Amino acid sequence: MAKGRISPVTGHYVTIEIDDPDLGGEYKVFYLENGEGRPLVCQHTAGCHNHQWRDLLEDAAITKDYRVIAYDLPRHGKSDPPNDREWWKEEYELTADFFTRFIVELCDALELEDPIFMGSSFGGNVALQLAWRYPERFAGVIPVEAAAHSPGFFLDWWQHTHANAAQVCASGVWDLMAPQSPDQDRWKTWFYYTQGSEAFRGDLYFYSVDHDLRDKLEEIDGEKCPVVMTTGTYDYLTTPAMTAATAARIRGAEFIEMQDIGHFPMSENYPVFRQYLVQALEHIEAHLGATV
Amino acid sequence: MPTVEAWAEAFSRATDSDAELGAHGRHFSCTYMLDMEDRRVIVDMHRGKVEYINVDPAPLDAYQFALRAPAATWRGMGERVPAPMFHGIWAASFRKGLTMEGDLLVLMQNLRCLTRQIEILRETGVPV
Repeated sequence: MAKGRISPVTGHYVTIEIDDPDLGGEYKVFYLENGEGRPLVCQHTAGCHNHQWRDLLEDAAITKDYRVIAYDLPRHGKSDPPNDREWWKEEYELTADFFTRFIVELCDALELEDPIFMGSSFGGNVALQLAWRYPERFAGVIPVEAAAHSPGFFLDWWQHTHANAAQVCASGVWDLMAPQSPDQDRWKTWFYYTQGSEAFRGDLYFYSVDHDLRDKLEEIDGEKCPVVMTTGTYDYLTTPAMTAATAARIRGAEFIEMQDIGHFPMSENYPVFRQYLVQALEHIEAHLGATV
Repeated sequence: MPTVEAWAEAFSRATDSDAELGAHGRHFSCTYMLDMEDRRVIVDMHRGKVEYINVDPAPLDAYQFALRAPAATWRGMGERVPAPMFHGIWAASFRKGLTMEGDLLVLMQNLRCLTRQIEILRETGVPV
């Protein structure tokens, strides 16, 4: 009789080609998955990896209806930098062009039909970019802790050679979590952040510089690609007011304010996050059912 | 509200007995000012322990970096469970008027332990 508990979550690699003048190349991508049904594709936050979605991946009430897929963006977790570029001779600055192309290529490579895309922080911002650029490819998007524009976090401190970058990144985002969130989960999230400092600053080039949809929001069709935005009350980077103002300008978009939670809701306090996630999924499914 | 002397004693005692700082603070050495608008103090840390808290700094007393914020911001940060945007120096710097000044490299080099030490204000309160 086995003494351990073996998770139903499985890990896989897929190798894909991304056509992009700045960051293009061949990428070996790692993803975790569990469940059956409509794909729910999940993007971690900047400088982190897919373990932020650990509790969702094992949530049987969700995975009975959804194939949850949580990937590591290239240069994060177990996804390598490009196989065919001398990336160590380049400064990494993530762009919206590459980020969105990568996600679509990954969905195509996995032959995902009508997926819902969900991401938090820079993953939430790229969810908005996907709704704007590729609305036909997704059944809906759930931008978590996102806004049309989120300046102020593209800082050299994240990669300063005279400081312990792992601790600067991890403790620099500590305040993004709510004090009510469980210590065990906040410290897991802190630990993940010690592992991603080489990518964090470059990720935030997208988050705080390249991502700017302030004059594009009216072009997003939330009827064609439903948009449900959620933000926690303890998020100081993209406050609930910022997210609400973004959602208000997207046709058909919904905004859900999450109480007593911060910028990493799926990782810092999943039981609180899941009640809002269920609302978001129900909203999208109701919309899709109404438009079939 | 505690007197600044009573606060300094409580803050020193809580810092020196904190499990996290005890486990990870052996390189936590720096001198910094907390400017609370109505009250300023200089905290001198040495290897994770409070060496001295200067509760009445003279104009030329030295420190490496300063955290300056309105008294109301510090009072919010000193609540047992701070309200949103009062829950740390980064949150308060974006939304509640806190500024980080001086040699920020020293601040970043000590960020992990400093973050924990500032949270001790939730236990001791603040002297403003």
